[in-house]
Amino acid sequence: MTYSYRRCLGRLLRQLCVGVVAVPMLCPQGQADEPPADRESILRRIEALEQRLRRLEAVEQRVEELESTTVLSEPETRVKQVEVWVDEAGVEHATQEPGTRRVVTYQRERVYRRQTINDKIEAALDDAAARTVQVGVDAAIVLQNVQQTNGSDARADGNTYQLASADLLFTAGLAKYTVFYADVVGLSGTPPDGEVEGLSLLNGYAARLREQNRLELREAWLMTELWSQRLTLVAGRLDLTNYFDGNAAANDETTQFISDALVNNPTLGLSENGAGLAAIFDPRNGFRLKAGYQQSSSTATNLSDSLFYLTEASYEWTPFDLGEGNYRIWYRTDNSSGKDQNAFGISMDQKLSSGLTLFARYGSAESESRRDHFYSGGLQFRADYAYNPEDAWGLGYSYYSLGPGDRERLAEAYYNLRISGKLQFSLILTHVSEDPAGSSKISYVVPGLRLQAGF
Amino acid sequence: MTVTGFANFVGTSVLVLWGTVTAASDGALSGQVRVSDPASVVLIVNRDSNDIAFMDIETHKLLGSVFLGKNVNPHMASMSPDGRWVVTGGSSSNKAYIIDVPTLTLVKSIPVDFAPEHLAFSPDGRYYYQGNPAGDSVSVIDMVSMTEIKRIRGFAEPLNITFTPDGTKAYIANYGAHWVGVVDVTRHELLKKIYVGFAPGIASLDPERYLGDIKGISNASISNDGRYLYAADGDLGVVGVIDTREDRLVKKIRVGEDPWRVYMSHDGKYGVVVNNGDETISIIDLGRNEVVATLEAGPEMIGVNFAAGKAFVISSTSGFLYVYDMSRLEPAGRIKIGSNVQIETATTDTADEKIYLASSTDHSVYIIDGRTEAVERVANVGLYPWGTHILDSKDNYCH
Repeated sequence: MTYSYRRCLGRLLRQLCVGVVAVPMLCPQGQADEPPADRESILRRIEALEQRLRRLEAVEQRVEELESTTVLSEPETRVKQVEVWVDEAGVEHATQEPGTRRVVTYQRERVYRRQTINDKIEAALDDAAARTVQVGVDAAIVLQNVQQTNGSDARADGNTYQLASADLLFTAGLAKYTVFYADVVGLSGTPPDGEVEGLSLLNGYAARLREQNRLELREAWLMTELWSQRLTLVAGRLDLTNYFDGNAAANDETTQFISDALVNNPTLGLSENGAGLAAIFDPRNGFRLKAGYQQSSSTATNLSDSLFYLTEASYEWTPFDLGEGNYRIWYRTDNSSGKDQNAFGISMDQKLSSGLTLFARYGSAESESRRDHFYSGGLQFRADYAYNPEDAWGLGYSYYSLGPGDRERLAEAYYNLRISGKLQFSLILTHVSEDPAGSSKISYVVPGLRLQAGF
Repeated sequence: MTVTGFANFVGTSVLVLWGTVTAASDGALSGQVRVSDPASVVLIVNRDSNDIAFMDIETHKLLGSVFLGKNVNPHMASMSPDGRWVVTGGSSSNKAYIIDVPTLTLVKSIPVDFAPEHLAFSPDGRYYYQGNPAGDSVSVIDMVSMTEIKRIRGFAEPLNITFTPDGTKAYIANYGAHWVGVVDVTRHELLKKIYVGFAPGIASLDPERYLGDIKGISNASISNDGRYLYAADGDLGVVGVIDTREDRLVKKIRVGEDPWRVYMSHDGKYGVVVNNGDETISIIDLGRNEVVATLEAGPEMIGVNFAAGKAFVISSTSGFLYVYDMSRLEPAGRIKIGSNVQIETATTDTADEKIYLASSTDHSVYIIDGRTEAVERVANVGLYPWGTHILDSKDNYCH
């Protein structure tokens, strides 16, 4: 809105005001020589003018509101991609004609789009955010107490353990469909696994990490998507369990089960994160194929050492009106023992209703003597079965037997209370029974608390 | 000139000017017939060229466009049930516009409240309800007098409007609240507010989420028989089922995070909810009122169209349509529309065969064959096409 327009509007308003006030003064009611018809005519005119005055006041009000929120600028000029038909002489034709070909060109267009200051600020902030590295924090405190329930005296009996974990996450978009990601983790404290010495970890936060009380690079990789985002390639320092052996109900130690046996299949065999590559082919029709390799030893001296190859096929299925289910089968080979050993496994999760999910895993791995075997299963409850709509709880059981005869049975229950979008609190109760070959059986009950923050 | 004379002059001038405008409009109405069959065109709402374009549904040629004025920024357009008029709200001009379809002329602009966006016709075509989300009101436009006969207030960012099939009631979805307003269409009065849910008690510990940018109800989608409404609430992550006979909430269905709205399959069996928070879709069995599948989808989903037994989910910023087999309730691939494009909303033809998708950043409409999934581009339809509309389509919706 220009100043001159406002000045004209103001002048017009003033003149109309004068007119409205002046007319009754010039033509007072009750003037004897005034014909009644003229008086009515004047009154009608006054009424009409008053109506227009009210409309003009409304217009002025609207102008003020617009001026207070609108960016005063020239119409925007944008570059537009245009397809035109051009003949050999470079002459543009409105439609396709003999001798013309379609070419793409660019031209400026003047756009009459009114933007508010909020639009401008939002666009500037979005632009700034897109250029920066995104930083996230994922922090957790886990408190666990160990009570021995069976077996000869163990040093863990009655002890309490606390592990604090903080992940710093960095993400940066490098190009279209290409992202860099790094996860630096610091662990402080002691999980119970140093004294319980089971076949799997009672605190999954420490899984596939080597050092404690110091910063460690958990992951650092570059991801790109090809073929209309059907093929995803990830390369760098990886945790291949993020891509293989997934499970909707038992695959996240931060919000679901905390024991590693109910987070991943131990027969997968990955002990440490390391250099590797993952390729995921996802045509978005329910099938997924994955392949990858990863080194799983920090002492390896070359890429051929302690190398794991994994492949997985999965299918998303909605059987019998039950809800969706995910069914995965994987196969791996590794040379960490000095010779090639294989393993295979399955992982499934199937919704039984909108709030109830059944999950199960099975795995078999070649070992020095007989094969190792693992299976687990359980239920996850959400929505209607939880106290708050976004809470979840679960019951799980796992059984792990090694070729030499060691056995582990583990049962766990958790309730995850979502306090806010950034903070969650969990109560966890684990019972684990270790049955080492050649030794007596030892059992523990491990109650625990978990406070998880992510922002 | 005396003061009285000046006042007379102003009044007369305004009247003469008004008469000229009216006469011009009448003259336009007597113009050449350019659209003889309203069912033969696709409307294209061009936000930044401030016009409504008309594309022939068979030849895919533009028949013409109606310029609404500078700084109008039309948001959504709809044809009257008889196909005679097209109406649209100018979100920057705060006006409603009425276009004569046969002659493609603008016949009336009507001042309404702030930022008019979504709209709906009563089934008999008598009234056109224009939602004004920034004014928290709904303007009732009488299509006989072509005037705003009432402005219903008391809403909280009213987005979409749904009439019952008998036209007695209209349901107003409030994105700035968690309730659906029930309007008596005979008196144009807000009768009732039906809440689809409330934040859980623990929400008091998360003020950023519940007191910040509220994401309430964008639309109340009606079942084919008109008996039930399905209103998704973004903050609460639920779909409320409202019985239209008794106007009460009969069920809450938990879906994914930040659901936008429910889109009804044409056979009336399923409702598809797009959950932008966790980038999934929830498929609700409308017979059982239960979620029967939750499937992976894409970012920033703003529409679902149904054709050839499939659901096509529009993921705005990714440039993909995610396809789902509605008989098996399973994913059935993706269709890439383009790179560096932002796709908007779409309509489906009445044969349920082809989808007409607006693509704003490349100023195009893409025509997708539902059966073969072949894509045809119609370029240069106008600046920043924001949505499309076909008379009697079952997929006429907006953002």
